[in-house]
Order: sequence, then structure tokens, then C-alpha cells
Amino acid sequence: MAADGHWLTFLVLMLPFAGAAVAPFLVRSFGHNAAWLLALIPAFMFYHFTGFLSSVANGETVAAGYSWIPSLGVDFSWYIDGLSLTFALLITGIGALIVLYSGGYLKGHPHLGRFFSFILMFMGAMQGLVLADGFLTLFVFWELTSITSFLLIGFDHVREASRRAALQALIVTGLGGLSLLAGLLLIWNMTGLGSMSALLEAEGALREAPLYLAALLLVLGGAFTKSAQFPFHFWLPNAMEAPTPVSAYLHSATMVKAGVYLVMRLNPVMGDTVAWETILPVFGGTTLIVGTLLAVRQTDLKLMLAYTTVSSLGLLIMLTGFGSEKAAEAAVLYLVAHSMFKGALFMVAGGIDHETGTRDITKLGGIGRAMPITFAAAVLAAISMGGLPPFFGFLAKEEIYAGLWQGSGWSGLITLVAIVGNALMFAVGFAVALKPFTGPKVETPKHAHEGPILLWLGPLVLGLGGLLTALASPLSHRFISNPMASAVVGEPVEISISVVPHVGLPLLLSVMTIALGITAYLALARGREIMAGTLRTIGWGPDLGFDQAIGGTVRISSTVTRVVQSGRLDYYMTATFIALALALFVPMILFGELPALPDFPSLRFYEWTVLAIAFIGLGAVLHARDRLTAIVSLGIQGFAVALLFMLLGAPDLSFTQFMVETLSVVILALVMTRLRLSPTDHRPTGEKAGDIAIAAVCGATLGLMLLRVTQIPFDDTLSAFFAENSRAIAHGRNIVNVIIVDFRGLDTLGEIAVVMIAGLAILALVRIRAGKPADARKGGG
Amino acid sequence: MAVDPGKTVDLAHAMVMKPVAAADWLVVAPVVIPLVFGAVILMLRHETRMHASIAIAALVATLAANIGLLARVIETGPLVMTMGRWLPPFGISFAADALGASLALVATLVALVCAIYSLSDIGSIGRRYGFYTFMLLMMAGVGGAFLTGDIFNLYVWFEVFLISSFGLLVLGSEHRQLDGATKYAILNLVATTLFLTATAFLYGIFGTLNMADIARKVDGLRDTAPLMTLGVMYLLAFGMKAAAFPVNFWLPASYHTPRIVTAALFGGILTKVGVYALLRTLVMLFPPELALLSGLIAWVAGLTMVIGIMGALAQTDLRRALGFVVISGVGVMMAGLALGTGEGLSGTIFYAFHSMIVMAALYLLAGVMNGVGGSYSIRTLSGLYGAHPMLAAFALLLMLAAAGLPPASGLWPKVMLVRASLDAGYPWLAFTILATGLLTTLALGRVFILTIWRPRAEERLAAAVSPRLGYTVLAALSLPIVIMGLYPDPVIRVAQIAAGNLLDAAPYIGTVYPGGGGQ
Amino acid sequence: METALSATVGIFFAVAIYLMLSKHIIRILLGVAIFGNAVNLTIFTAGRVMREVPPIIPEALIAPDAATANPLPQALILTAIVISFSFFAFLLVLAFRAYQELGSDDTDTMRVAEPESEDLPPLGY
Repeated sequence: MAADGHWLTFLVLMLPFAGAAVAPFLVRSFGHNAAWLLALIPAFMFYHFTGFLSSVANGETVAAGYSWIPSLGVDFSWYIDGLSLTFALLITGIGALIVLYSGGYLKGHPHLGRFFSFILMFMGAMQGLVLADGFLTLFVFWELTSITSFLLIGFDHVREASRRAALQALIVTGLGGLSLLAGLLLIWNMTGLGSMSALLEAEGALREAPLYLAALLLVLGGAFTKSAQFPFHFWLPNAMEAPTPVSAYLHSATMVKAGVYLVMRLNPVMGDTVAWETILPVFGGTTLIVGTLLAVRQTDLKLMLAYTTVSSLGLLIMLTGFGSEKAAEAAVLYLVAHSMFKGALFMVAGGIDHETGTRDITKLGGIGRAMPITFAAAVLAAISMGGLPPFFGFLAKEEIYAGLWQGSGWSGLITLVAIVGNALMFAVGFAVALKPFTGPKVETPKHAHEGPILLWLGPLVLGLGGLLTALASPLSHRFISNPMASAVVGEPVEISISVVPHVGLPLLLSVMTIALGITAYLALARGREIMAGTLRTIGWGPDLGFDQAIGGTVRISSTVTRVVQSGRLDYYMTATFIALALALFVPMILFGELPALPDFPSLRFYEWTVLAIAFIGLGAVLHARDRLTAIVSLGIQGFAVALLFMLLGAPDLSFTQFMVETLSVVILALVMTRLRLSPTDHRPTGEKAGDIAIAAVCGATLGLMLLRVTQIPFDDTLSAFFAENSRAIAHGRNIVNVIIVDFRGLDTLGEIAVVMIAGLAILALVRIRAGKPADARKGGG
Repeated sequence: MAVDPGKTVDLAHAMVMKPVAAADWLVVAPVVIPLVFGAVILMLRHETRMHASIAIAALVATLAANIGLLARVIETGPLVMTMGRWLPPFGISFAADALGASLALVATLVALVCAIYSLSDIGSIGRRYGFYTFMLLMMAGVGGAFLTGDIFNLYVWFEVFLISSFGLLVLGSEHRQLDGATKYAILNLVATTLFLTATAFLYGIFGTLNMADIARKVDGLRDTAPLMTLGVMYLLAFGMKAAAFPVNFWLPASYHTPRIVTAALFGGILTKVGVYALLRTLVMLFPPELALLSGLIAWVAGLTMVIGIMGALAQTDLRRALGFVVISGVGVMMAGLALGTGEGLSGTIFYAFHSMIVMAALYLLAGVMNGVGGSYSIRTLSGLYGAHPMLAAFALLLMLAAAGLPPASGLWPKVMLVRASLDAGYPWLAFTILATGLLTTLALGRVFILTIWRPRAEERLAAAVSPRLGYTVLAALSLPIVIMGLYPDPVIRVAQIAAGNLLDAAPYIGTVYPGGGGQ
Repeated sequence: METALSATVGIFFAVAIYLMLSKHIIRILLGVAIFGNAVNLTIFTAGRVMREVPPIIPEALIAPDAATANPLPQALILTAIVISFSFFAFLLVLAFRAYQELGSDDTDTMRVAEPESEDLPPLGY
């Protein structure tokens, strides 16, 4: 599997992790300017991937890797086609800009080095995710993105909101990750195929598999949580607790698109079914509308953008699942456009926050003059977001409408959803890009002025990117859109749309969207009030639900634990012996392992007598009302057992039993003078009856089992051997002794160890008194 | 026969005539070394300064022996040595296969690391009253349990490590310890006594105690003997030793009470001996019975996982939470036993390696956190990130490991078990394994954000213990966790060989009875 | 003979378990002692029973000339007796020390390790 020349790709896959290891040291030496050095890592990776552009544009793919866990049939493998290549370019390209931006944004932060480490690790994880071919390679990187995002969201860990958001993201995406793992393993199990490339080759295999629907739901569980589809959307806006570079990178351009990536990747093999074309548009469409409505409600620039990200992700899922070739093409165009404009807008919002000290849109205004470059970047991005020519967002929007409208009622509904969603996103996008910069100047906590180059370079490049890619659309289609769309559709497709508007239905729908968008923009303040009122009326949301779910889980756990782990030995013993009673009784009955009915035992008189003595002793122990009776009774049953051994040909045993019983009685007598033996057993009658029943069943079944065992013909090979050889070879006449010291001498060694340890433990118990000598507590056990 | 013993007797029918190859002594070395050094420390009771170094040296030697043993077993198959050179089944055989040898190796590694951490955790009183003797004898017992090929001898080793664990548990005589030890001692005594009772029945049925002998006789007795009841008895007795639900009470009642290094030893090693015994008896001796019990064990596994992790979620004391995490892991291991397939069993065995290291590391981490933060309560323990970022890194890694997330070792055994569950037609068991992983993430994630990230309300405690030794031992345990996470192949191979030896006992039997002799 | 012993063993077990289900630690200990005897009798009976002939080779012979009692269970029981006695002694001292320190021999009131009133863990973040 390993092929020469692929080592460079492998190295590139590992490079960010190496970068993460050195980042703190670079920061120690160069301060925030380490960003310039560290940005070379993603830049190099970007450069490496550009090398694949032309071959992939010609329809070639690369599937390569190394054997990783041969014992499980797992390879570390990657797959480069139009889809993964575009993602890789976005991740590394935007990644480089984000690294630079972070240097400016977190300049002087005491943990900047740590931050760079985390973000580079994240970059490596994300890159691995989109390039992974083997299912487990994919899953490992998928989970690594969740873990690194946990660290990044909680970066500002002293704030409770950050900690909550981090845990929330970890749990929600962790839930999805496990769902994905289950789905992938199920697919592997059903089809025998463990990698994406193999799955793509065997096109129909998955769709016809018996558990297709289960696998689909599980995989979508992963995709929908990661890509914040309703009702799992709530973690994404909360993730805005992270420093803005993280929001711009993870929560708009990259990680949240992992789910979209997965859906796109699986479209050729799982799509084109009723389930696919129902579930995806319904969830996507709902997410689109819910996201935009919630975006309208917000006043925080980052939250406004976060909710429009939710809606964009909904739009992408909806488009991918719609089922038409053009819709898939639209999804591709929109994804590329979105990565650029949303990343830019987030960085703009962060820049504003950094320079003015606030990102509340109602407290901002007229800073355009003070921050002209940021303003320009914002406008460029917003135009693309609004879908106006001559920007890449325009191409996407035209293609969306061309792809969705097919004349049927269903497509009409979906188109309507798209129009409303796009219009509201238009309004919110321009609100972010215009409101803070235009209008009368508002006093801000900090005096606004243009930030350093590190802060505006990223947004400006991405803003311009939206323009250039559109102007050079033949080129961007050839190298980016077409290969990617072909991978999503599963067969070669050609995208022809350009910035020159064609008169037709899509254009008409675009114009409608824009008109609606402008209206919404003008009525944004009013809309915000209405939404705020509505949300107050509803009063509950999945975000609150998360707290309730966590609290509920802890409460239920606590209640259950109190029941099963009550802290009372009595309860533990009762449960244990009930388990014993069942363990003996049930299989004995179920599997017919009861003994045959024996004859009435014919014992000699003195044997009956010994047994009677034993039972009298037992009865007396049960009924003893004072210490002496109990001790004596215990002795009686013990001596009776010793007598029994004597009668049955075991003199050594009998002697030892006598010794041990005597010693037990002596020690008991010593200890019992301190311990209270209450005259009555304090068990209430009901409990007593229960205990008697448990004890009786255990005793009876153990007795029956013993009887059953003795009814089998006995294999006495061992004893015969001992009898034969004990004197001949081991030179001992007492066979029992020979067994103990020779044949089974090791048991005796263990026995001696037990006695020794018991003595030592008793010594420790008696001698060490907690709290008495000062050093006993400190240094004692 | 006349009285002229010895000279005229043909020894070949009774004894192994071939001299024991020097390398075969490796089979008993993991037991003999700690036993001898434990006794040496006992003799030097008052020289408390020497105790730790002797114990560490003994454990290093044991570890070396274990490595040699495992290497040989992997290379040439199971190794056997019969005590007193009697032919099996007449003497007690020690029989090391990949399962026993690998578990003994990992257990010794954990014990060694704990012994190093004990330098800062165990004072002179603890030493004088036998901490290191208890510890080494416990390891002798554990090693004996892993390596013996005789079921009554297994009982004896169980008792050796049990009584040693009593000693470790009560050392210090704090109120909590005495309370916890009472429950631990009584319940565990019940468990080993049930084990002994079952073994009495087994002897009555088979007339032999050698496990290889039992394995080759079992098919002949299946129609006449009550093997189902016997199998369930072993399931109950060893399930209790493994702390499987619903007989897991003793563990949460006691594991949080002794010194943290003792808790780490227990949490890492002891429950896995129970799991090992389950594998050894049910898989190797009673496979058809195990197949019939599969559904029951699957339920036990599922409930153990869920009840365990729910218990962890409900705790405020970090050590008590960890006790429940141990139980939850036992459930995961029981899942592979329920499946009884090669992949399921290798998953269980891998998980046992992983769980030994991770649970010990988690307890030691709790100890270090208490050392620098002054509390075990997640209510008050906080603000560790600022002063101790390394601690945060270890905590994160161990959280991921326990939850079964990359890049730590827990992922792979869980993947194996989920795959095996799907293969065996137990999708709900696969679901439970994954859901337990998520709940573990939640339980330990909460601990992480509260204790590490949450800023400290009051000023830092003045007298904090230096975490340097703690970092050393955590690094020593984290290394295998990461290696097993990134490159699990060698470990999986060992686990697969071990599972193969259980499922097909022929090589094991063949080693004990070369040429099928002895009967 | 085995039948009578099986019944005896059953009664020993029942009495031992009934005592061990008590809340009083002293009764539990009495139960533990009887439990040990019950198991020893089980081992003994499982090796089948033979009256009165101890497994000792006469001075004049190299091997017994007639059937004797089964020596192996006896050897096992000898090991088990000593072990269970060690445990019993330890348990007694432990119970005694627990009573000294905790002031109670009622297991229901021994709630130091797992206290009765426990708050929920913190629910915040």
C-alpha cells in the first residue's frame, strides 16, 4: 500500500503537530511575531496541495497510505480528490491567514504559545479529517478536532461561560463522533469495506445493504452535530466564547464544515435514496430558517455571524441532500464562497472588538473613517455574502436557485426556504459590515483606530479572494469547483456559471432575495424586538435543555447510585446472597441439573450423634442470647465437625480442626468481651423471613449441588497416584502429609504467606492508632 | 510390595525426567522474586529506609522476568513447569500462556510505578508496619494467579493477594479505612469462599485440579455433570472479584479510603485478576456453558458499564468517582466475555492492559492533584491550570484514555469490542459501550473543567507538595498509553494470541501434557 | 453417607448465611466461622467419603493394600482451614478495632466511608 513519493504527503499530514510542539518555544523567542514563522507551516502545506491541482482537475485521484494496524486490517491512508483537495486548500490557506491574525489578536497574551499549539494541532486534525481514507483514520482525526476545539473554546478558562461552552461542544460533538464511529463500523461490518475510496468504487453496495437506514442515521448523527444542524445547533454560537481567531477558523471556515464534508463525501454512495433526500433537506432547511431568525435577534457581532453560520450550514446540507446535480454544484460554490466571506467577517468583528473594546452592534457606529482597511474588507465580504455580482457568492446564489427550482411543490417549498434564508443572511451580513462603520460616531470603550497589519491582512485577502475567484471563474471552476462538484456528485460535471448575469428565473429569484434582504436590513431593529419577544414567550431552547440534560443525568445518577450503593453492609450482603441463590437455583432448574432422589442415608448410631451435636451447636449459635452461649455453641459445632473428620478417616484434619476451633474460641472470647452481642437479633419480622428464605435457598441448593456432584462416578486417578508414589518416591507414609509438603507443596507455601501476612496485618491494625502519634496520620499507611 | 523404596521404582511414570531448562524457571520467577523480597523486607522491618529501594529493585527484577517470560511465550507458545517435577496433573503446574504472562507483565509495571510514587506517599510508620511487604506479597499473589495452571492453587494465590490487600487497606487505621476495610474484607471473603466452594464441586466432578487436565476431560463429562451450575458459580465468584454489577459493592465502599498509592494499586490491578479468572475458567474450561450464558453476561456487562459510570457522575470525591470508573471498565471487559469470539476476547484483553495502566494513573493523578490543590473534592479543588499546566496535560490525556478517545489507548479495544458486538448480533451492547464512553467523557470532562480550569476562589494553599515525583510516574504511565494509542499493533497481536490460546486450548494442553501423557 | 453429609453441608451453609445477613458484626463473624466449616465439609464430601481408614501407608508396605479415605481433599482442607483461620483472626481484630474507633458494631451505623447524607456534586461548570 505504501508508495514512494507519498512520504511527503504523510509529512505534510504530520507537520502541524510538529509545529504545535515547537510553537511555545518560538513564542518565547520571538513573541507575537512568531506568527510569521508559524504561518509558514500552513503556507507550505497549501503549496504542497496546489501541486495536486492539475492532476485532480484531469480527473485523477490519489489513494495512498501506510499499513498502520495490520492486526485489525486498519491502514493510515488518505484520499485526494476534488472534494478533499478543495477542503485541504481552504484549511491550509485560511489557516495561514488565521495564524497571522492570531499573532495580532492575542499579542502579549501570556499563553500565546499554547494557543498556537492548539490551533496548529487543530489544523492538523482538520486536515487529516478531510484527507482521511480509512474509516478509523477519519474517526481519529474527527475526534481530534473535537478535542482541540474543546481546548480552544475553553482557552479563556477563567470564565465560566467558556468552560460551559467547551464542555458543551465536547459532549455534543463527542455524541456525534461516537454515532459516526458506530455508523462507520456498521458500514464496515455490512460491506466489508473500510475506506472511503473502496466504498466509492463499490458504488451501489451501501445503498442496498440491509441496515442502510441505520448506518445513514448514525453517520448523519455525526455530521449533524458537528455541522450544528437543528436541534444540535446551540453549541456553535456558545463556542463564540473562544478567542475570535478560533471562531473565524473552527466555527466558520473549517471544523463546522466537517459534517458537510462527510455528507458530501458520502453523497455518491449513500445519496439518491428517499431517506437521504428527505432527511437532509428537512433538517438543513429547518436549520437555515432557525439560524437566520436567531441571527436577527442578536446584537453581538460574533453571535450574529455565528447564527448565520448555522444557517449557512443548514443551506449546505439542504443543497447536498436535495438530489439534483445543480444543487450539488451550488453547494460546492457556496461552501467555497462561505469559507472566504465568513472567515473574513469574523476577523473583522474581532478587529472591531480588539480596537474599540466592544462588539455590540447597538454601541458601534461611524468607525469607518478610523478603520478604513477593515471597513473595506468587511464590505467586500458582505457583498459576497449577500450574493451580489461580481463576487463568488453571487455565482453560488445563482446556482442555488437554478438547482432548487424544478417546478414541483417540494422544490418550490425548498426554494422559498432558500430565498427567505438568503434574504435574512443578506440583511445580517450587511448589518455587520455597515452598521459599525457608518452613521454618526458613537463613543466606544477604546478609541477606535486601524489595527496592525496582522489584524487586517487576513480579512482583506479573503474579501478580495471572493472577488478574484469570481472574476477568474473559468480558472476557479476548472481547478476547484468542477473537481469538487464531480466528487460530490460522483461523476464528472462541468460548472459554467460566471459573473455575467443571465436573464432567467435564477436571476429573478436573486433579485427577489436582494429586495427582501434590503427590506429586512432596514427593519432589522424591529425584527430583533419581535424575535426577542418570541423567544421570551417560548422560554426554552436546546441550550437550556443541555444544562437540564447534564443536571438531570447527574441527579438520576445520584439517585440510582444511592439505591445500588447504599453504604449499608447489610444491603450488600443481602444482594450478594440473593445473587448466589439465583446463580444456583436457576441453572439447576433450567438445565435439569438436580440430583437423583437418593436413598435414605444409613448411618451408624454414633454418626447420627455427631451430626446431631453439630446441629445443636448451630441452633444454639442462632439462638444465643449472651456471649458465652454463642462462643460455646460455636465451639460445639466446630468440635462436631472435627469428630466427623475423625470418624471419616481424616485424623490429621480432625486434629487441625480441633486446634483451630479452640484458637477461634479463645480469640473470640477475648474480643467478644468488648463487642456487644445484643440478646435479640434486631431484624424486623419481615426482614427476618426474607433472610431465612435467602439462607434456606442458598443452603438447600448448595447441598443439592453437592449431592449431585457425588452422584457422578469419581475419577480417583490422582489419589491412586498419591497412594502409589507417596512412599515409593516421596518417602512418606502419611499420604496427606506428603501431598502437603511435596505433591502440592506450593499451596502450602502460599498458605504460609497468608498466615505471615495476616499476622503482620493484625499487628498493623493493633499498633497503628490514627491521630494518636502525630506522624501516624502523616506517615501511616 | 516390599519395603524398599526408591531404588527399584521407575521414576519416569511419576516424574518429569528431563531437567528443567534454566529458562523455564522464568515461569515461576514473577512469583518467587516478590515473595522472597517481601520476606526480606519483613526481616528488615526496622530498617525502614531500605524498604523502598529493596521493593523497587525486586519489582524491576520481576518486570525483567516478566518481559523475558512474555517474549518466550510469544515466541514458542505456552510454557509449563510442574513443581517438584511431578508429572501433571499430580503436582502443581505453573503454565504461562500469552494471557497470563502479558497481564502479569502489565501488572508488574503498574506496581513498579506505584512503588516509585510510594516514596512520597508512604511514611516510616507505614513502612514499619509492612507496606512494602504487603505490596510485594500482593504482587506475588497476583503473579501466581496469572501463571498457575492449577485451580486450587489459583485459590491460594487469590487468598495471598487478598490478605495482602487487607493489610494495605487498613494501614493507617483511619476511621474511613476501618469502615471501608470491614466491608471490603467481609464481601471479598464471601467471594473467595464461593470460589473455593465451586472448586470443591469441580474436584468432585473431575477428580482433578489441573486446568489443562480439566479442559481435556470436560467434553467427556458434559452429559453427566452439572456443569451449567458450576459455570454460573464461577461467574458469580469471579464476577464479584472483578466487581461486576450486581456484586460490585465492595469496591466503591473501600477503594477511596486507603493511601492514594494503595488505591492506585488496587484500582489498576485487582479487578483484572477477577476478569482474568473469568476468562480462564469460562472460556478455556466451559465454552459451551459460556455460550449459553452469553445473553446473561451481556446484560451484566451493560449494567456494569452504565451503573459504574453513573456512580462516577454522582460523586463529589474524586477518588470515589474513580472507583466507579474502574467498575465501568469492568463492564467493558465483560462485554468481550459475553461475545466469546476471538475479536471480542482480544478486545477484552487489550482493555485489561489499558485499564490497568489508566486506572492506576488516574488514581495517582488524583494524588498529585490533592498534593498541589489540597483536596479530593471537586467542589473545592480548583485552579490547577495556572500553576501546573503539565498536570492539566496529564489530566486531559487520562480523561481521553478512560473515555476511549484518540490519541490514547482506550480507543482501540473499544473499536474491537464494538466491531465484535456488531458481528455477534449484539448491537445494543455496541451502543452501550459507546454511550458509556460518552458518559465517561462527561464525568471526567466535568472533573477537568472544575478542578483544572475553574479559577480558585481563595488564595492558593501555602503548603503544597511538589508534584515532581508525581509527574515522573505519570509520565511513565502516560508513555505506554500514548504508544498503545498511536501504534497499537503489537499489543493487539499479543491480545489476539492470548485470546487464541483461550479459544483453542490445544497448545496449552499440549504443553502441559506433551504427547498426551499423564493419564 | 454422601447424602447425609450433603444435607449437613446445606444446613451449615444456611445457618452461616443467615448469620451473615445480620447487621451485627459479631453475628456476621460467627457466620463466617461456620461458613468456613461448611466449605471444608463440602470439599471433604466432594472427594467422596470412606469410613475410618486414614490414608496412611502401613509400616510394612510401600503402598496401601486396601482402599483408604481420599487423601487429596484432606490436604486441600488443611490448606483451606489455615487460610480461613487467618482470615477469621484478621476479621475479628478488624471488627474489634472498628468498634473501638467507630463506636459501633451495627453495620447500618458504620457510615464513615460512604456517608449517609451526601449532596449532589456541583452542577455548575
